[in-house]
Amino acid sequence: MGHGHHHHEHDHSSGAAADVPPALDLSVPDGELSPSDVSRRGFLRSAGLLGAGAAASVLATPSAAAAAGLPHSHGPAGGGTAKGGFRWLAGDHHIHTQHSSDGQYRVIDQAGHGRAFGLDWVVITDHGSNAHAKIGVDKVNPDILATREELPDLLTFQGLEWNIPAAEHATVFVHPGRNEVAVLKQFEQTFDGSQLPATNTEAQNEAMAVAGIKFLGEQVKRRKVDGALFLANHPARRGIDSPHEIRNWRDADPTVAIGMEGAPGHQAAGIPAPNGRGGARGLYDNNPSAASYSGYPLETYRTWGGFDWMTATVGGLWDSLLSEGRAWWVTVNSDSHVNYLDQSERGPGSDFEANGRYHDPVYTGKVNTTAGDFWPGFYGRTNVGAASFSYKSVMDGLRAGRVWVDHGRLIKTLDARVRVAGDRRAATGTPLGGVLHVKRGTATELTLEIDLQNVPNWAQFIPVLSRVDVIVGSVTGPVSARDTFTAPNTKVVKSYEVSPGARKLSVTYQLGRLDKPFYLRLRGTDGKRTQPGLMGVAVDPAGPKLDVIGDADPWSDLWFYTNPIWVLPK
Amino acid sequence: MIHPAAAAASQAAAASGPVIPSGPALTPAPVIAVAPALGLAGLAGLPVHGVSLEHPDTVAAEHWLASLSPAPVLACTHLVRSPRPHVALSLVFADTAPELGAESPDAAAEHVAGRSGRAVLYPGVDLLVGTLRVADVLALSAIEKVEVLGGGEADPQALLDTGDFVRPQWRAGRLTLTTTPAAGDRLVPFETRNPTPCCAAH
Repeated sequence: MGHGHHHHEHDHSSGAAADVPPALDLSVPDGELSPSDVSRRGFLRSAGLLGAGAAASVLATPSAAAAAGLPHSHGPAGGGTAKGGFRWLAGDHHIHTQHSSDGQYRVIDQAGHGRAFGLDWVVITDHGSNAHAKIGVDKVNPDILATREELPDLLTFQGLEWNIPAAEHATVFVHPGRNEVAVLKQFEQTFDGSQLPATNTEAQNEAMAVAGIKFLGEQVKRRKVDGALFLANHPARRGIDSPHEIRNWRDADPTVAIGMEGAPGHQAAGIPAPNGRGGARGLYDNNPSAASYSGYPLETYRTWGGFDWMTATVGGLWDSLLSEGRAWWVTVNSDSHVNYLDQSERGPGSDFEANGRYHDPVYTGKVNTTAGDFWPGFYGRTNVGAASFSYKSVMDGLRAGRVWVDHGRLIKTLDARVRVAGDRRAATGTPLGGVLHVKRGTATELTLEIDLQNVPNWAQFIPVLSRVDVIVGSVTGPVSARDTFTAPNTKVVKSYEVSPGARKLSVTYQLGRLDKPFYLRLRGTDGKRTQPGLMGVAVDPAGPKLDVIGDADPWSDLWFYTNPIWVLPK
Repeated sequence: MIHPAAAAASQAAAASGPVIPSGPALTPAPVIAVAPALGLAGLAGLPVHGVSLEHPDTVAAEHWLASLSPAPVLACTHLVRSPRPHVALSLVFADTAPELGAESPDAAAEHVAGRSGRAVLYPGVDLLVGTLRVADVLALSAIEKVEVLGGGEADPQALLDTGDFVRPQWRAGRLTLTTTPAAGDRLVPFETRNPTPCCAAH
């Protein structure tokens, strides 16, 4: 293939803790650091890279609760919804343009629609490829800069969709700045799966994935960029993201590798023919291949209520990470390439390989009923609790896991906090993604406030929340078998039916006196399609239902999911 | 280890051999030289040959399989992830096996134990065309169990749209077909002939 990068380091990350630089090692007091390390630590602290995100396990970061629960100032500008002390900024980290071989839109087409449909932030993620690594990664940047100029109330990040060596795709993106292109380009040319020798073994490719994530973290530590994030996309689609790879990514650099798509894009793909594509929701219609992890059951490869099996299964893969105390967050996105009911097509006469992009799309006058994607913001949104309207705040909020997601605008706002029982001060309570440390025997409670939807979604109806589930699991520490993908102690512990006509859901759930560490997460549904969860009716009596091939109306099966909150003994 | 000459020879044979339908342009219903009445029990005692020619995917493995003469009466694909992902096969012949190439003892062992493996050729596969009741699938072919993904055993009266492409798998010693619900109140096999390709241009 000619681009034979030979791989310097095949470093398996199990011993990562041993080589933490002094500035990152909080057991080294400030006074014992060299002046340059003091400055470096100051930078890292202000960038939010110490504390919550800085270690693989929440068990190791007693400062996380404090970091997450600090009072927050509000930014002066930008969109979003204030709730619970944060400005909730809706976004989408998985969007393609004419710089992808299977895309067609301009950056401004995607960003403009995203903004119009209510997004506050977007990430442009064209596929890693030969053409993109050489040409597209440069050419997209002026379009992104122009979009930032044109749409000042939208945060437009430049990223790319990484072909993770030995695995699926991932969103990789960086904070804007003078090195954003250089860092992304060097990353893609060195670590994209398309740029690696076909003779690599699985083990070599898995090591390259880990090295790529570490490279991103290094660019932040060396102050080339002010932040870099990784999120695994459509992780269960082809069964090739094995549980140990996901753990390895996270451990490679937890300030970079922060999570995965809880639901894939392509949510229009199951709309019945002839009005729609009549395919599989999320385009999840694959079967195991030789690259798949053989331990995954066939249930892995399909969507459940529109969500990826790793997230949709109570007591499944996601819960197995959370029950280790391993911070790992979920998002939802459009994965927009070509949009359902759009009336444009790829620019004719293009030479993608030579130019790194297609010509601008052209209006056709025809309606595309076979496309499987929605415009950014049209269906799914990732809501990030930010301190202000800024690029850095979005990245910090994502890194902290202050994130809840929904489809079809199922709810309007959500404020979930875990508190010491009885403490109702406005500035207290541990939000999503946080860790509450209390003495054993202390009673804690969940306070949940949801503003029910009173504004129509983009299908012109007001969604009705039917039920909210509280899911709780014990925290049992790191697993010895890194391919573990079940969490036997996690289950739905409480369900709240929402009264018809209610405008608000306010509940308090007593979590009892702490005897062992645990986490909780929340899930809600319109209640239209449910079935017992894959781990049994005692674990999840009314979980998301398997989506029907060729008959999955995405608007008639809506769910929201939150990220977890941990409660740990001091 | 793969014998390079054997692999090259088999690839050459594959290029000119007959083809098991694997694309939309081809007509369905491969003609397999096996009597439908012959169940799996009738094959008991015949040797199981494991073979690994490092086919990258099941399409390539099935293409090679179609070139074999005589054709096997039972043939399964087996997924191998390391050192590099590839597809091995396990084969049962009614009589003498032809020259096959590099052996895969693991594929043969998985097949014999009924632990894993995806059946491409099996008694009755040529009768599984069009739309059939689940009960008919069980009666006509060597498939021993039909399940609905995440939902237990399929209703014997449920209709299965076979898509003329039915690939059951060995699971706990039984040849099991997993299905999923589809539009029109039908079931379809879990595996479709043409799944959505991975979108990146590599």
